[in-house]
Amino acid sequence: MRVTRLGRAAAIVALGLVAVACGGSTSGSGSGGSKGTISIGVDLPESGASSSSGLPTLNGVKYAVQKAGGSIDGWTLTVENRDDAVGGSYNTDKGVQNVTDLIGTNTVVAMVGPFNSAVAQAEIPITNVAGLTMISPSNTNPCLTKDLSTCAFHPQDLRKKANNYFRVVATDDLQGPAMADYAYNTLGIKTIGIMDEKSVYGVGIADAFQAQFVKDGGKYQRQSFDPKTTTDWRAILQGFKDFGATGIYMGGTDDQKACQPRGQMNALGIGSWPYLGGDGLTTSQCIDDAADSALGLSATTAGADASQIPSAAGVITDFKKSFTGANDYGAYTMTAYDAANIEIAAIKKAIDGGANPKSINAFREAVRNNVSHTTNFPGVLGSTTFDANGDTSQKIISIFAVKQETQSRVAVGDLTCGKAGGPNALYCFEWTKQVNFGA
Amino acid sequence: MERFQRLRATLSGDLGSTLFLLLGVLGVLWVIYLTIEQGPRSMIAVLIIGLTDGAIYALIALGYTMVYGIIELINFAHGDVFTLGAFFALAILGLFKLGPGANYTLAAIPILIFVTVVVMALNGLVNIAIERIAYRPLRNAPRLAPLITAIGMSFLVEGAMYLWRGPVDLRFPDLISENRYELFYGNFGPQGKVAPLIDLGVKDIMVVVASVFLVVMLSLFISRTKLGKAMRATAQDRDAAALMGIDINRTISATFFIGAALAGAGGIIYALYFNSIRFDLGFSAGLVAFTAAVLGGIGNIEGAALGGLLIGVIRALNDRYFSASWSDVVIFAILILVLVFRPTGLLGMQVPEK
Repeated sequence: MRVTRLGRAAAIVALGLVAVACGGSTSGSGSGGSKGTISIGVDLPESGASSSSGLPTLNGVKYAVQKAGGSIDGWTLTVENRDDAVGGSYNTDKGVQNVTDLIGTNTVVAMVGPFNSAVAQAEIPITNVAGLTMISPSNTNPCLTKDLSTCAFHPQDLRKKANNYFRVVATDDLQGPAMADYAYNTLGIKTIGIMDEKSVYGVGIADAFQAQFVKDGGKYQRQSFDPKTTTDWRAILQGFKDFGATGIYMGGTDDQKACQPRGQMNALGIGSWPYLGGDGLTTSQCIDDAADSALGLSATTAGADASQIPSAAGVITDFKKSFTGANDYGAYTMTAYDAANIEIAAIKKAIDGGANPKSINAFREAVRNNVSHTTNFPGVLGSTTFDANGDTSQKIISIFAVKQETQSRVAVGDLTCGKAGGPNALYCFEWTKQVNFGA
Repeated sequence: MERFQRLRATLSGDLGSTLFLLLGVLGVLWVIYLTIEQGPRSMIAVLIIGLTDGAIYALIALGYTMVYGIIELINFAHGDVFTLGAFFALAILGLFKLGPGANYTLAAIPILIFVTVVVMALNGLVNIAIERIAYRPLRNAPRLAPLITAIGMSFLVEGAMYLWRGPVDLRFPDLISENRYELFYGNFGPQGKVAPLIDLGVKDIMVVVASVFLVVMLSLFISRTKLGKAMRATAQDRDAAALMGIDINRTISATFFIGAALAGAGGIIYALYFNSIRFDLGFSAGLVAFTAAVLGGIGNIEGAALGGLLIGVIRALNDRYFSASWSDVVIFAILILVLVFRPTGLLGMQVPEK
């Protein structure tokens, strides 16, 4: 066959393209001596309104891979990232699609995620069958690992084989008791009014608070309201006042009007009472809803606050050198960093133990086994040991209180404050203390 | 079937009215008991809460009752027209630099009154448009058609507000003074401590005074003006009114206008009182106001006012002395009890004669 001049030129261009495609790999160092690729999968909500949750968390994983030099024992280490947000909000169907995809990618040996408990509930059955390790940096629904009587679903329903799901944060069933002790011992509230907005989360956390508060020796009055039809809480508040309460615990989330009763307390003369709650309250919407009574709001979150750990400061500074964007660091960057590092250690241990990453199923099982035996792993946020359920020994609950800040402090951008430009823009949740139930 | 009709007639006849009266007497006795047991200060505080809520329900109920009285339509979109008034007010006040962070100043009051008048007119026009587009074409259709259209209209108006300001709770400027008045000091507090018997805020007084003013104005309008007479005539017998030379379409439009104007004023009063509004506020507010209208006697203006106040007070009593979880159950149980035992309502229905 005669090769024309055009045909020769096309062949050279094609060869050039192939060379470029083969030569450039994804992240991590290039070829030359690499035994192959190992990936850590990621499934987080990363687009639209949820990007402020997911992207900083993804950065934690990327940072861990970067600090590992992009390789383990001669294998190239990369991140296989998937977004489970649809229309700006986490989507369980998309999450299921993503993990199925990650399982089908034969370089993925473990994953970090998901961000939302509802997505985890859908994903665990699939990853469990495939034996793919999941460490969540943020799921707090206790029913994913613990079989509580109040659970709508049970951990054993999600798993057919050995446990593959772990998390580095504490659970909602500890948030209530943490605040109960804080209310009774630190704030000196002996009689309290408890409310919930008839949601699974709200009733659950209020019940947990109530049980511990009674154990501490306190008295309570309990009321429920339907957020769809309630706009006036004054009669309920009057009841608490007449009962002799000196504070209120609200089990609920800001989008179910959990903070609106706070705005009606001043008119009843009880605006100085502490108003307490869980992580459904640690939002700017809540600070805004509290109107002119934002001070006196206190709420818990499940997990440690990295900014409070002295040894974490160095890591965060180093992180910000590589990730320089204003919104690159978030509440879950360090938990994701620890999660990824636990997996990296487990991968290394598996390789050193003779497992071959190319036999992907056996290798995934080796990694899973190593992760499940994680003991006293030195992370940024403390020392982690996973129990038989996959929960961390670091059962840390952080307590935040609203304080009035200066304009310049708010401008730093790391605090949750009232909406910018709004009347409560200078009121922000400030870390107050942490409680470690695992200690 | 005949037995069922007879049973129904018995239940809703004198027997029903007697049962209802009995219920009322029991209620009053319960309130007296609680006043003695828990102290008058607590009961007065609860009654103030109930009356201020009830006044707002009454303003919404008036619109329901007027429209039902004249064309026998339950205007499900009315609760959303109430919310719309608050949304309009929020936007217009913003133009006067009275945004969500603004506080009470004497200078703001005339602006507030001006904005209220403007919003009432705007709301009225919106409602006229709704009537023209959605209900007038169905005036002679079977009753189910305009009912379903009204439900659809409700979703439409809610959807419009959602698209306008989104799903979040919007803060409304706090333009009424926060001052409170404490009256009649005595040993009324818990454990006999010294406390005022009555603890009233300027806001509470504002709600009651504004609502009473609007209801009285409406009453005078209906009874003294020509248009009011036309509305009464149309409500009583539409065909006869037409024969008398009354422009039916204009009269009905006027009814919708006035109903929405009142609801708009109600929306502003609500927003000034609670400082927070959301696009779906009207859904439940409308249902409760409708219950109030039925309780008082659908079509009956005094009934709507009374029904609103009663529902407000009953709800406050329930939340304080029983359990707030039962709030909705109690209110809608009342609706059912009224429909079964006293369908004409407390003060009697006023619907077109057949």
